[in-house]
Amino acid sequence: MKRALWLSALLCGSICAAPALADPVIPQFKNETATAGLHSIYKGEWQYMVGGGVAALDCDGTGNPALFIAGGENKAKLFLNHSQTGGALKFAEAKTSGLEFDKVTGAYPIDIDGDGNMDLVVLRVGENKIMRGDGHCHFTEMNKQWNVDGGDAWNTAFSATWEKGNSLPTLAFGTYIDSKFENDPWGHCTDNWLLRPAADQKSFGPRIALTPSYCTLSMLFTDWNRSGTPSLRVSNDREYYMGGQEQMWKILPGEAPKLYTEAEGWKFVRLWGMGIASADINDSGYPSYFLSSMADQRMQLLADGAAKPSYKEAQFAMGTTAHRPYTGGDERPSTGWHTQFEDVNNDGRYDLFIAKGNVDRMPDFAMKDPNNLLLQKDDGNFEEVGDKAGILSFKNHRGALLVDLNHDGKLDLIVVNRRENVEIWQNVSTNLGHFVEIKLKQDGPNLNAIGAWIEVKEDGGHIMRRENFIGGGHASGAAGFLHFGLGSQSASQIRVQWPGADWTEWQDVKADGFYLIEKGKAAKTWQVGD
Amino acid sequence: MLRNFIAVLLLLWAFPAQAAAPEDVLDGWYRLTLNLVRHTATYSPPVASRAFAYVGITAYEATASGNDHLRSLVGQLNELKSLPKREQGKTYDEAVVLNAAMDAVMSDFFSNTGPTGQHALAGQARMQKVEVSKGVAADVVARSDAYGRKLEKAILAWSKIDGGAHITNLGFPLKYELSKLPGHWVPTSSYQIQQFPLLPEWGKNRTFAMPIGATCGLPGPVPFSEDMNSDFIKQAEEVHDIRNGDTGEEKIIARFWSDDPGLSWTPAGHWIGFLLDIAKRDHLTVAKTSATLARLGVAVADGFIGCWHEKRVYDSIRPVTVIKKYIDPKWETLLITPPFPEYPSGHSTQSAAAAVALTAALGDNFAFDDATHERDGLGVRHFKSFWDAANEAGVSRIYGGIHFRKAIADGLEQGRCIGAYAAKLEMEK
Repeated sequence: MKRALWLSALLCGSICAAPALADPVIPQFKNETATAGLHSIYKGEWQYMVGGGVAALDCDGTGNPALFIAGGENKAKLFLNHSQTGGALKFAEAKTSGLEFDKVTGAYPIDIDGDGNMDLVVLRVGENKIMRGDGHCHFTEMNKQWNVDGGDAWNTAFSATWEKGNSLPTLAFGTYIDSKFENDPWGHCTDNWLLRPAADQKSFGPRIALTPSYCTLSMLFTDWNRSGTPSLRVSNDREYYMGGQEQMWKILPGEAPKLYTEAEGWKFVRLWGMGIASADINDSGYPSYFLSSMADQRMQLLADGAAKPSYKEAQFAMGTTAHRPYTGGDERPSTGWHTQFEDVNNDGRYDLFIAKGNVDRMPDFAMKDPNNLLLQKDDGNFEEVGDKAGILSFKNHRGALLVDLNHDGKLDLIVVNRRENVEIWQNVSTNLGHFVEIKLKQDGPNLNAIGAWIEVKEDGGHIMRRENFIGGGHASGAAGFLHFGLGSQSASQIRVQWPGADWTEWQDVKADGFYLIEKGKAAKTWQVGD
Repeated sequence: MLRNFIAVLLLLWAFPAQAAAPEDVLDGWYRLTLNLVRHTATYSPPVASRAFAYVGITAYEATASGNDHLRSLVGQLNELKSLPKREQGKTYDEAVVLNAAMDAVMSDFFSNTGPTGQHALAGQARMQKVEVSKGVAADVVARSDAYGRKLEKAILAWSKIDGGAHITNLGFPLKYELSKLPGHWVPTSSYQIQQFPLLPEWGKNRTFAMPIGATCGLPGPVPFSEDMNSDFIKQAEEVHDIRNGDTGEEKIIARFWSDDPGLSWTPAGHWIGFLLDIAKRDHLTVAKTSATLARLGVAVADGFIGCWHEKRVYDSIRPVTVIKKYIDPKWETLLITPPFPEYPSGHSTQSAAAAVALTAALGDNFAFDDATHERDGLGVRHFKSFWDAANEAGVSRIYGGIHFRKAIADGLEQGRCIGAYAAKLEMEK
């Protein structure tokens, strides 16, 4: 349907009467910061101008996403989720989780050892911590046991994938400026690095430097050409590198990482890379990427098919430049951080969230810089509704997540702020479309099927598809149910392409349900308490 | 214990604390200037050139005020009518005066830099103050520091009324009426912020050494025509063919002189950068170096004002727009097409002005190595003269696909005219 509309717009140009397009439903969010029980401030000076992430993870098998929030110079905190289904958001701090570290910049959940309990990779200014969950929201450091050298860099990004045949994941860590050069940081980016499983498949091998590295703020293992083998996309901050650019590494099993080159089609792009969002937003069958930055944000669409990693920038045409505050009277350029594609109004189209905030008293950039919530319309373009949706805030935002925190099929929002308390909004809309939420499970080490693709049939034959990944955003990641809006459909069909396998058959699902899909089995409904 | 104390005293007597030389002070602050130009968001090439002029003039006047062999620029630069003088008969330390003036001018001109720049500025100020004060009497340090700052404040006050002091929205107007006439500039960028031209009023700024922005006017670009046999289309075909058939060397040259804002020291900083290397290589005195930096700063700043004046007059279309419409819809430039009109080429104008100024200061056929972009992985290039460099900077813009040949040739001529005014400044007696 959407593709047909685009085609008709292309053929008609300006001489045809435009088809009447329905305005997207604007979701309504209620700020519950004062009552949700969350108190966490991302504090610190220069080394905490970036970072400030949040992780959402089911740490006790109940399905309720707990929130782990970076505190910078403050201790990080884990908040357990006591929200009732569809009810107000309620959290309580877990004071002895084992995660109470200082110097934390962000975190990503991942079940590293495939034991069914969610683990957590904690990024820090200093040694990263690999924390193993026990299924009861207690965590134990595994750096030594798993032979992970946490290093002492300024860590700012993470992603993970399971390479074919491995029992443990391959972990990628992104780092920023070499702290030794505080008075002359330019051109002093430290190496990003990769950890692959050791030969015994029980621990990790030595670090593999991803040289050259260019002060990375987001990285994402993503199967950009649907080859079945993800590459590592890296978004870098041009403020600090010399001779740098955006990067994508070929990570082929058993081979040394290798950069895609201009000769292969990779374009020489430089930006203040802060965050990566990814989804197939244009029905192409391939992931598109949104890169948050300063001033104009970037929307990248695959330009020449799967053969070449060439991307055309479409932010101007699609209305996603988000280059200056859309309200509040501050007309200076914006600064973007966490970014994420999700369907916030359940209409079967990906919407876009961008956290915004001045780096730190930069007078040429907006100080009153509200977060963006851009709804995708029928014609594929986007429309800003942040203020109308009730998420207007002028704090100094950093990491964030759109995630269903109370199992009502509507995505809620949490945003971490620099020097101020975290903010949280419940999606209290009453007029949204239907939804399904899906959790994948397979046997073997990659229990949560990272790298799988899911497709859901939408109104008019349009397909909503997403890649199940770990990484991207800005120092923030979630593990748990994957959310799909269904619009007016009371039922739909879904299918999965499991890692290294072909697509399954389409399976029927009823709308407004949670489904556990195990490889080789029929989708099973899930309810809180299962 | 007493023996140790005596030993320390003897050591201090034999090797007194060595204060930093003015040459080192100048070099240290200028290296930071280059970094801050690269990393301060408002520092587009015209804005950067203006800063290089004022920083250079400040350094020079701080030095000249204590050197009988140097003549002040008061009365030689437009509207610079007076500057504070030193107290007669009082002792000043040249390094402290220069350091204070540089500290002040950097703090003022880069007050809007980001947290990292502020961090670096504060660190440099702390470190340099300690270095220049070593072994200097406290009253001399205080007097010299106060004078350097007073001098800078006078230059700052003079700078505030030149028309270029306030930059908003990174230099892009929030409102602007684009011409709809054929052959006029149309935006080439997909960035929302760049849909209007950068600093369209810059050509009205007060110039430094040349009379006004219009002084070195140009005949204009090749007249627009849609006739495929016209000179206009032929010049577009030339850009298209050169870009498509570029050799490795042409690509290297294009990127070497790309000097993009935010990713480099900008075109003006490129010339400042290799002048600093020359000063170090040839052990130039602070008098010579500061005079040459000031002369070069004035030349490039006037170059950008004159160039921008003509850009506004002719408002001409970029090659990429023409080539995509009439020759090859899929054609792409090697360099990023700058978000403002094409004619004349800014890099050509300012490089030629710089070549005139540096030739006047250091001589013709002055060979040097240009290592500006070595850390960016673009290697070192050798030039036989400053004009050799200016000509290569000019032609690099065709290789990059962002200018027609006439914009380069005329830009170089305009720079020659503008640079002559900077060359005529009487500085070293």
